[in-house]
Amino acid sequence: MTNSWNDVQYTDCALIMGANPAENHPISFRWLTKAKENGGKIVSVDPRYTRTSAMSDIYAPLRSGTDIPFMGGMIKYALDHNLYHKEYVAKYTNASFIVKDSYKFEDGLFSGYNAEKRAYDKTQWAIEKDAEGKPVKDFTLEHPRSVFQLMKKHYSRYDVDTVVKITGTPKDELLKVYEAFCATGKVGKAGTIMYAMGTTQHTVGTQNVRAFAIIQLLLGNVGVPGGGINAMRGESNVQGSTDFGLLYGNLTGYLNTPVSTDPLNATLAGHLEKETPKTGYWSNKPKFIVSLLKAWYGPNATAANEFGYQYLPKGNKNYSHINLFKAMYDGKLEGAFLFGTNPVVGGPNAGKEKEALSNLKWLVAVDLWETETSAFWQKEAGSDPSKINTEVFLLPACSSYEKEGSVSNSARWMQYRWQAIKPLGESRADLEIIHELMTKIKGLYKNEAGPSAAPINALYWNYGEGHHPDIDLVCKEINGYDVNTGKLIAGFGNLKDDGSTCSGNWIYCGFYPEEGKNRAKNRDKKDTGMSLYLNWSYAWPMNRRILYNRASCDPSGVPYNKEKAVVWYDAAQGKWTGVDVPDFVATRKPGDAGFEDPFIMMNDGVGGVFAPTLNDGPFPEHYEPYESPAKNPFSSQEINPTIQLFDGKFNERGFKADYPIVATTYRVSEHWQSGTMTRNQEWLSELVPHMYIEISEELAKEKGIKNKDKVIVSSARGEVKAYAMVTKRFKPHTIDGKKVHQIGMPWHFGYKGFATGDTANRLTPHIGDANTTIPEYKAFLCDVRRA
Amino acid sequence: MATEYVKFVDVTKCDGCRACMVACKNWNDLPAEQQDFLGSAQSHAKTTADTWNVLQYIEHEDSKGKLDYLFRHSACFHCTDAACEKVCPEDAISYTDFGTVVIDHEKCVGCGYCVNNCPFEVISLKEYVDKNGDKYRKAHKCTMCTDRLEEGLQPACVTTCHTGAMEFGEKAAMIKKAEERVKQIKDRYPNAMVYNPKGVGGTHTVYVLAEKPSVYGLPENPKVPTSAVIWKDYAQPIGKMMIGATTMAVVGAFITNTIISKKKNGKNEDGGDSHE
Amino acid sequence: MSKPQKSTVKVRRFSKAFVWAHGINAVSFFALYITALPMYTEFFDWLYPVLGGPEGARLLHRIFAVAFISPTFIWAIFDFKGFKLWLKELVTWKKRDLQFFTEFVKELFGFNFKHVRQTFFNAGEKINSIIQIFTAILIIGSGFPMWFPEIFPRAVVQWGYLLHNVGFGLAIAVIVGHVYLSVVHKNSRPGYSGVVTGEVPAWWAHDHYTDWYDEEVAKGNFPEIDENGNPKKPTSPGSKKKKGA
Repeated sequence: MTNSWNDVQYTDCALIMGANPAENHPISFRWLTKAKENGGKIVSVDPRYTRTSAMSDIYAPLRSGTDIPFMGGMIKYALDHNLYHKEYVAKYTNASFIVKDSYKFEDGLFSGYNAEKRAYDKTQWAIEKDAEGKPVKDFTLEHPRSVFQLMKKHYSRYDVDTVVKITGTPKDELLKVYEAFCATGKVGKAGTIMYAMGTTQHTVGTQNVRAFAIIQLLLGNVGVPGGGINAMRGESNVQGSTDFGLLYGNLTGYLNTPVSTDPLNATLAGHLEKETPKTGYWSNKPKFIVSLLKAWYGPNATAANEFGYQYLPKGNKNYSHINLFKAMYDGKLEGAFLFGTNPVVGGPNAGKEKEALSNLKWLVAVDLWETETSAFWQKEAGSDPSKINTEVFLLPACSSYEKEGSVSNSARWMQYRWQAIKPLGESRADLEIIHELMTKIKGLYKNEAGPSAAPINALYWNYGEGHHPDIDLVCKEINGYDVNTGKLIAGFGNLKDDGSTCSGNWIYCGFYPEEGKNRAKNRDKKDTGMSLYLNWSYAWPMNRRILYNRASCDPSGVPYNKEKAVVWYDAAQGKWTGVDVPDFVATRKPGDAGFEDPFIMMNDGVGGVFAPTLNDGPFPEHYEPYESPAKNPFSSQEINPTIQLFDGKFNERGFKADYPIVATTYRVSEHWQSGTMTRNQEWLSELVPHMYIEISEELAKEKGIKNKDKVIVSSARGEVKAYAMVTKRFKPHTIDGKKVHQIGMPWHFGYKGFATGDTANRLTPHIGDANTTIPEYKAFLCDVRRA
Repeated sequence: MATEYVKFVDVTKCDGCRACMVACKNWNDLPAEQQDFLGSAQSHAKTTADTWNVLQYIEHEDSKGKLDYLFRHSACFHCTDAACEKVCPEDAISYTDFGTVVIDHEKCVGCGYCVNNCPFEVISLKEYVDKNGDKYRKAHKCTMCTDRLEEGLQPACVTTCHTGAMEFGEKAAMIKKAEERVKQIKDRYPNAMVYNPKGVGGTHTVYVLAEKPSVYGLPENPKVPTSAVIWKDYAQPIGKMMIGATTMAVVGAFITNTIISKKKNGKNEDGGDSHE
Repeated sequence: MSKPQKSTVKVRRFSKAFVWAHGINAVSFFALYITALPMYTEFFDWLYPVLGGPEGARLLHRIFAVAFISPTFIWAIFDFKGFKLWLKELVTWKKRDLQFFTEFVKELFGFNFKHVRQTFFNAGEKINSIIQIFTAILIIGSGFPMWFPEIFPRAVVQWGYLLHNVGFGLAIAVIVGHVYLSVVHKNSRPGYSGVVTGEVPAWWAHDHYTDWYDEEVAKGNFPEIDENGNPKKPTSPGSKKKKGA
């Protein structure tokens, strides 16, 4: 999140789209309720009328997979009606930048497309640079090749009538949403967008978020209280895990993993050159990368050996979930560690993923309970154990309440937690398991030499002598310290690229600035202003609570909304100050370079309306989901032209002739992800004991289905049985004059625990987003019949 | 003078999360009882002896066809004039100083009179088996966490509620809040009302409902059953009087007969005398 | 001269069927009352352990409740004639029935009273029967919804509690009088054997139900007796002799 949960209370309008926080992030409604009391409006856009919609002032339905038309229409509306924040757009975004004339867009494709590779040559979308290498700008925004005009042209095709035809949203409801949210473009008003997997789990997921980013930049909503782009993270410490590089393409702190397919990555120097922009805060990357290498390889990382850069494994494939399971399915993986993950329930095309597991030679599952995945080989799982040769190890893990450590919430607040009770039985903390594993592996390689052993031996495992690692040592290493003096580092501004500092994760550098002062443990309940609670936990970066908060002030440093000011330039003190930590160089004065550039992480210091680094284009463009009931009205490109395709039995594709109904999956308040924890809880299982689908009264009538009947849902990949919940909250969409039905279902169920049921993900496809490969769980095709 | 408290439930702030249901089970150590699929998000058809509060989920289309999804935390109303307290033959149900209605399980004999007289059907019997293998029954319902109130805490459900849909406070203050809230939300919920039925003397769980009571399956004008009033306030005492009267009559008759026969010097014999 | 002894000659007043019916009615009535007493009033809570706790009391109550339904059927099936006579008597009201009441009150308290001729049942017995029938209907009728509340509408169950209370409240009040008269009160207690063996002293039957007795004599069923109940010497030929002393 750019903002925080508490901050939501200050919004004038919350657009909740691609999410159902009343159910899946209930505490959000503590703050949304306050927002309502303060006169804020809540808008819910969802294919289904959810509990969130019930709490909202405005509700509009849309067909799953049509977020870009919906938002594209809003962008056009804001531009046509002059509702955007003109000064903010001109000064704080790249709307004023001139794009090279090699940039083109026609019939759904941007220039530079290679159909065979299914990829773009992004250099075709470059920004015009002047002699000094700075972007050419037109602050009047009138230049025909300015980002602003190109955007206007691009979204001129997203007129209301076309949008309505493809989303199925009734016109008057669409306009109500546009009107309510675009009203926050007024100077001093703030709108927030709260979203989750409904936005991201699509083949166009990244571009869905990009559309939010564009509208928020147009309306001047980024960096202001009550505004922002607020991803509601889906599980406890997924924020922490992405921060710490668990995504396949990242090292810690969102640094990129070096891949061997790029020759520049052969050396540290080459890698740093490739990765480091000349401007913007990322120009400091070498300091972060070298400090990270020093953390990992300790004294074994020196200037002489490129700080151990050669020890880092450099991949040459896409190691995303779908690709890993494809490799597993093809018999190319020997073994797997599955830490707290249950793909037999939670993975796309779950039936195939279960098949894939049996190709493994060994599987180590680390879980709180025996899950459908760690038990994939059992008869109850529908397997024939005699035919499966996988050796399965189940390591019992303990829950978060039985161990110590920090969790980072959606708002980037690193909150330290203490052990409440000792782990039951033989269960152990993941940290302990990994510590013992690595210690033993290092022991095994100790006396070996050679390229396989070298990285293991070089790994600096400095976490104490005990069974359980010393968490304080781990914390200190994350924060970073001077390797010569051992002194903790106060903030990432003090990291160096000469090997004198180490830091396991630069974005967290500063949380433990002094001995005995682990700021993640801060628990001062006093509100330090605007519900930011600066002395409660530690928010990365540098305890800044609202990212890009410089943008809440005009170019001269005066807040746009004086009643809700968080930072401002204090001329008397000659620096930036306020109730939030300025996300800016505090000492920058008017007239200094960059004084008017709030987006410090961006190379050019401004927000990106135009984003030429993404795989599927610099502007979001609508493509239908991989399995779609409708024809794309915007171009002849039916699906995202850059997504990785999987064919054959690994991903059977369904078409509307056989599967005419749109399907989506979602979560409920009472269950958690694949249900491994919650379906083993009696009180939660009691609340939602049965697998069901939600089906409109109209579709139910057509199929002769009555409420509570058992039904079978089928897709090209499998069938599941469920109860029918016939409801008024789903209504058929009218897509281009034709009736298109949609159903939805929770994906929590498996055969273990107190609450059991069929697994919805047996229906979902093995297809993912063009940039992240996140699976398209949210829009696919199915059919329904009575059981 | 004891202070009466009210649990104020504002359903328009409720988001249907059901943390209150789990908090209640947790505090009172109640067992889970999984039900069959009921055709909606609702987990139980109504409160039971082991499930003292149930979240209702109601899809309601108003006269203009606009859809609303209504939620209601449903539990014992803790009536000022509680039918259950009235009809309990063992005096097992009583009012506390807080205004809550509680069951003394030492006294309860599981007769079920309370179950059948509650205008809201919130109280239920549960069957147990004792150590000799004999069955017995006890009545159960929400206690308004009277044990927590006695320690200066609030009911578990109220403490857990994260939107502030439930508040616990002095009766007058809570009722005033309810009335003000209805005014606040008239635009969004034109049929909103305070549900604090007079027919049971008002309750200690007071609601702001978004719609008319019947939309929630609640009685529009609940009251202590007339049959219970006649039974306990009239028939029972009159019946006791009657047997008292006839007993006194026959005792009196015995006495007068003895006196008179003594007067006549035992000349009487059975069956014959003093006629003709 | 000492008072002459009353004869022990008996006549049959009630059939064996009636005796059983009445006996079952009486026993189950008291059993029902006793098993309900601890619930009726706290004063009798000490009875719970005796009855096997609330569950034991409930079980016994239900067993005797079923028994309580049977007397009508026993009497009707096994002595339909007597049953019919009873019903006929209950709907037959004449001047003498009203006269009986005023005299009865005097008689109850031991004062001088006037004798009014009665048929098989006197007005008091008729009233007792009518009240017992009425309350039995209330009690049994309301007993069903109380026992099976799940299958009856709530309102029926609720009113059932009231009617049950009214029924047994009225019944027990009247039964107090009924038992007093049949066991204690000297003028009526000779009739007690009527519900034990079915037979009552002939002199007592003649004195209290004179019209009935004379009818039976005319039919040849009962002997003519003197004022002490001794059969008179036959004065006319053909008069049958019935049971003697």
